[in-house]
Amino acid sequence: MLEVQNLLVFFENALALNDFSMTVKKGEIVGVIGSNSAGKTTLMNTLSGLIIDMAIKERRKGGERITVYGRILYQGKEITTTRPTDRVKRGIALARERHPVFPESSVMENLKIAGYLRTRAEIKEVSEYAFKVFPALMPLKSRKAGFLSGGEQQMLSIGMSLMVKPKLLLLDEPLLGLSPMMQKTLISAICNLQRESRITVLITEQFARPVLPIIDRGYVIENGMLTLSGTGQELMDNPEIKAAYFGV
Amino acid sequence: MKKRKERIDRGIKVRSGDIFALCSWREMLYLSGPRLFPLIACAVLPLVLDTYWQRVLLSVAIFGLLAISWDILAQSSMVSLGQALFFGMGAYCSGAMDHYWHLSPFITIPLATIMGGVISTILLLPVLRLRGIYFAMVTLIIPLMLVRIIEATKILGGTEGISGLTSLPSHWIELYLSLAALLAALFGFRRLMDSDYGLVLKGINDNDRSVMNAGINIYWFKAQALFLSSAVGAFAGALMTHVYMFVGMPVFALDYSILPIAAVVVGGGGSLAGAVLGAFILVPLSEALRALGGLRIVFYGAFLVFFIVALPEGIFHFITRKYHQFERWVEVEK
Repeated sequence: MLEVQNLLVFFENALALNDFSMTVKKGEIVGVIGSNSAGKTTLMNTLSGLIIDMAIKERRKGGERITVYGRILYQGKEITTTRPTDRVKRGIALARERHPVFPESSVMENLKIAGYLRTRAEIKEVSEYAFKVFPALMPLKSRKAGFLSGGEQQMLSIGMSLMVKPKLLLLDEPLLGLSPMMQKTLISAICNLQRESRITVLITEQFARPVLPIIDRGYVIENGMLTLSGTGQELMDNPEIKAAYFGV
Repeated sequence: MKKRKERIDRGIKVRSGDIFALCSWREMLYLSGPRLFPLIACAVLPLVLDTYWQRVLLSVAIFGLLAISWDILAQSSMVSLGQALFFGMGAYCSGAMDHYWHLSPFITIPLATIMGGVISTILLLPVLRLRGIYFAMVTLIIPLMLVRIIEATKILGGTEGISGLTSLPSHWIELYLSLAALLAALFGFRRLMDSDYGLVLKGINDNDRSVMNAGINIYWFKAQALFLSSAVGAFAGALMTHVYMFVGMPVFALDYSILPIAAVVVGGGGSLAGAVLGAFILVPLSEALRALGGLRIVFYGAFLVFFIVALPEGIFHFITRKYHQFERWVEVEK
């Protein structure tokens, strides 16, 4: 479904992603595990195309020059230079890091904004589905999104990316800042989501422990470079991973 | 093999560090050149220009000061649309002191600078809590209100204004005083904004809640920044009063609010030098276009739009970058 070939991303002279390649097959949950500043968010921004917009903004401001090399294939077609809006229309949705929501709008309004391109019936259907996946959001429907807790905002943010009916859902650090309890809830919600709607999910995360059991395949990334890959179980059994991420 | 453009610093840190800077004339020139250039320009320009363009230069200095004043405010999170308030306050203060108390301009100008600063700050104190567009609206309205108050109550000369004020001894003094003030404000406030004090002001602009979290009273700091900025504006107004030997309602005109903003946009905000550079470009341009009559505004506007679209960082930042960095093509290593 998604194929990334030799991706190189420079922020000015700093190399954020170094020769990164990966594949995501249809219907899988794939994890990208890495510590801070490993290049996870850069990878997500590159896949969702946001980096193109960032590059243009920075260039006009005379700021850092962002250069991207390599190829991204989605459903067999190259999308390396496709605009982010077109990528969303083709089914790639990103739930960004630190769950940015529209703080002044209510939860329901947030979902409506995210699903603006859909018909009214579809919005109703998908938002009901989102409330089913994240039951905690249901009673908060008309609350201002800015006053939700971190976990609730995270759920809302994922719900918003569901509104575009993605074929490939990118989750950038969905567990960031959540309690272990909340992490479990969210992970099982993601699992249910994937099982029910058969969408493909790509998760980046630094908390390997909750993520590894649910992923079909995983990649470990360090300093922008791919260091390890394998199935979830293989990674869990790997002594290096155990030492680095489980602290065993 | 793929190539990408790499940016490399010209090593300003090494060059500006201790003894290295004194090693050669080239290094010293590299460091001092950009600082000497405005000094020399301001010293020489009045000597080579004719009387008309000297007047233009004076107005460049005045608008430069207003632009600096705007930039200080903007850097400390207060976007103002009312530089005319500060300008007019200084102008009326010095005009009134001259007319009623017959003080010499060399006393009224400094006094008006401080008085104008204090009065403007007190006027704006209640709205320090406002942010962004709300603060801007208030600053836009206050000068307009003051004009109506003066018109209605006929204080300070009413609609006629106060004329026949004392002028400065010669036009050379006017010119060099304004240019010296411009340079002093430029270098002084640049230094201030680089110090820890300036860091706090910039921090308020970036994220005021984090600054509060550091135990700093942001309203006290904002009030100080407001005073500094309005004092600069008031000085410009006070000087202008004695140049024209007249003070009246036009000192609260919108020109004094809008042109400084345009200068900062063209020159580049956040550096103060950009503000001055912008004034040096825009004011003479507006004079040069005077011959075009009504079409002047069209060309002027087109010029502004061009700069905002093509070079949003501002001319000064562009030049600084080119001065401190060079670029070369390198191969992407795998």
